[in-house]
Amino acid sequence: MLTIRNLRKDFGSLRALDHVSLEVEANSIVGLIGPNGSGKTTLFNVVSGFYEKDGGEIFFKGERIDGLTPDEIAKKGLCRTFQVAKAPEKLTVLENMMLAAKNQTGENPLSAVFRRPRVSTFEKTNLERAMELLELLQLLDLKNEYAANLSGGQKKLLSLGRVFMLDPDLILLDEPTAGVNLTLTMELLKVIKELQKKEGKSFFIIEHSMKVISDICDKVFVLNFGKTIAEGTPEEIRQDEQVLEAYLSGASGGLPREFETG
Amino acid sequence: MEISQILANSLVRAAELSLLAIGLTMVYDILKFANFAHTDYAILGAFLVYLFNQTFGLNLFFSVILAALATGIVGIGIDKAVFKPLRRMEAKVVTSMICSLGIAIALRNIVRLIWTSGTKTYALPLMRPFEILGARLTSVQIGIIFTGFISMVAFHLLLHRTKFGKALRAISDNRVLASACAIDSERMIRWMWFVACSYGVMGGTMIAMEHLLYPRLGFDIIIPVFCAAILGGIGNPYGAMLGALTLALAENIVLALDFGYLASLNGLFHFGSIQISTGYKPAISFVMLIAVLLLRPTGILGKK
Amino acid sequence: MPLINFLIYFLTMIGIYSVLAMSLNFQVGFTGLINFGQVAFFCIGAYTSSLLATKAGAPIIVGFLGGMALSGLFGYIISIPTKSLKADYWAIATLAGGEVVRLIALNEQELTAGPFGVMTIPQPLRWLFSKDTYPLFYLLLVCACVAIIYLVLSLLTNSPFGRDLKAIRDEEDLCLSLGKNVRKLKLQAMVIAGVVAGLAGALFAHYITYISPENFQPIETFLMWAMIIVGGRGNHLGAILGAVVIQLFNISTRFIGGYVPFGSDVMSALRMVIIGVLIVLFLLYRPEGLIKESKKVYD
Repeated sequence: MLTIRNLRKDFGSLRALDHVSLEVEANSIVGLIGPNGSGKTTLFNVVSGFYEKDGGEIFFKGERIDGLTPDEIAKKGLCRTFQVAKAPEKLTVLENMMLAAKNQTGENPLSAVFRRPRVSTFEKTNLERAMELLELLQLLDLKNEYAANLSGGQKKLLSLGRVFMLDPDLILLDEPTAGVNLTLTMELLKVIKELQKKEGKSFFIIEHSMKVISDICDKVFVLNFGKTIAEGTPEEIRQDEQVLEAYLSGASGGLPREFETG
Repeated sequence: MEISQILANSLVRAAELSLLAIGLTMVYDILKFANFAHTDYAILGAFLVYLFNQTFGLNLFFSVILAALATGIVGIGIDKAVFKPLRRMEAKVVTSMICSLGIAIALRNIVRLIWTSGTKTYALPLMRPFEILGARLTSVQIGIIFTGFISMVAFHLLLHRTKFGKALRAISDNRVLASACAIDSERMIRWMWFVACSYGVMGGTMIAMEHLLYPRLGFDIIIPVFCAAILGGIGNPYGAMLGALTLALAENIVLALDFGYLASLNGLFHFGSIQISTGYKPAISFVMLIAVLLLRPTGILGKK
Repeated sequence: MPLINFLIYFLTMIGIYSVLAMSLNFQVGFTGLINFGQVAFFCIGAYTSSLLATKAGAPIIVGFLGGMALSGLFGYIISIPTKSLKADYWAIATLAGGEVVRLIALNEQELTAGPFGVMTIPQPLRWLFSKDTYPLFYLLLVCACVAIIYLVLSLLTNSPFGRDLKAIRDEEDLCLSLGKNVRKLKLQAMVIAGVVAGLAGALFAHYITYISPENFQPIETFLMWAMIIVGGRGNHLGAILGAVVIQLFNISTRFIGGYVPFGSDVMSALRMVIIGVLIVLFLLYRPEGLIKESKKVYD
């Protein structure tokens, strides 16, 4: 599904990504962990086209996607969320969901004026889907609230909702459960697993909670100083000494909550 | 036109523009918004110079100093009334920019209310121009180049030899870190406005001295000043100086060039003399500004 | 009678400025594009239409359409750099662009008659009406245009297209991540705004029958800005209300001018001081304007 080869990204003299190579297979859930500043979010930014790479290749469904703009990449079916969830402040929760639907006829100004019946049929279908997803994410009561008034955790849920609405093939999630309460997290994980099993979606997830990782991931990559230092099943990673060392010597000091299992 | 004359004219223009561009670039660097009122502060100052010089009969030199001080205080006052509340509201930078547009309109018309729309001149003795290396310069123009040079050196010293300059550079690099190091950023911002406005007054007065003084002058020079600041890489005071020089040269060279000669080079046609109409002189900086924005928005030097 | 004539003139100007304010609001209030060169659209619409009708001898309707088309084209051109420029740089570029347009009108004397302006611009359907009733007809024409523009823009902003524009205004990166072609959407918004403002230009030119570069000073742009800041951005009624308020203020101070011992220059300066201060006060104390952006509520 997603193949990254020798990817390089520099910020001035700092090498944020140092020949990273990894693979996300179709129909799988892959985790990405690493200490703060290890380059996880940078990797997402490069893959989704927000940053320009300085070297290497990225393939998605067999096609080169490095060099494409973010919207072109998203149109190909690779979609990402942001670490700090973004939400257009003057759009309601429901409008946020409707915004994400792809290939809307009404996005063309001429159709918006001259082909209104067709546009409203589309809107109706999208509205139903949006309502279903909001129910699933327990945001239905807030549907007419401005997105700016949501809490951080709710914004995270909303960004997941938007991605599900867009319905891409590969979904890059940047800390999807940070700030979301435990019961809802469990619920979310169930949704993710279901989407993978039933609809064959793939996920690539940056996550800090090792519990979440062990729960859903088939495979985990560990990033440190912009390099992949380990890969394997969650169980293997937990045992890996190199990984433990990377975390122990990390600037944050001490064992981080990545390894808290509770 | 003689090359030496083009160079001389460009130097004069560069001195004027860079004094104005420095303030603009500083405000952009620290407060992150494009201050559309900058040249109107400067022209308010230029009118204060007129007040002290022509109405009160003070010596021109002292008039400029008094006006620069007064306008600096006006700048601090407006910051306190408008921009500081906006900072506290954590308004978007574009809001500050649009506010500066409102301030520009208000200032320009306050000047018009007090001094009317008519043109003004300072009490300058009429003097025969000097001839230096084939270029004719009036003593006013020589004074402009000289003052411009001294002010630039002073600015360099201010930035590197004073506590204010060091704090300013620290705030510019990282506002949060600077305040963690016990730098009172609000106080520094007040000083920054003072310096930006005072330098602007010098630049504005020079332009008015060389041509005429009228309330709309502030608007007429805003684009060239933006152009100089962006050309050199906005946020970079040395870039502002270089940008001002580049723009000044471009303006004077384009107007002096005879495009008819270039056009008839291919030998097929004879165009006679084609020169850009002087009516387009302001357009030179506009077009250059747009070109720079499109081709190299970080400017010649980039930021720092 | 003179009072009625004056009232008709006043309402016509309000109508024309409403169209301009709606166009600016479409860019600023909905798409988040800070355009400080709005007057350029107005100028291009007015000049193209009147030159087509006078010099080229084309029918007036062709002039109107030509003015709208060329103004739309200008919108297309200035939208190109939005992809690489930050909002404030783009704003500076538009200010410069607006001045370039005015300088062309001033200096290309063979085409535009330079500072002398275009005179005896024909008026549409003038022969159908008497001298006294024609202004009333023109007022109705302008009102019809305001209504049509209001309707079309409302349809646009309530559609998925309008939703995309608002999302671009609030979170451009998010739109990119959802696969929206932000560049194309901005381009479409600028062309639409250009066509609308071009219509206002043509309406203006054929109404006052004489235009010169003096009519298209940058201060016009700032008046339009004052309208959308006072009226409220992100909704079309706000733009119209803003046009009414600012024009009302403009005209009423002109009235008072006859009774106070100031010259007209002093009065116009005072007027602009107040408008400048008004912009600042509104942004500080009522940033949403008189009419708030409306929320789309589903049940």
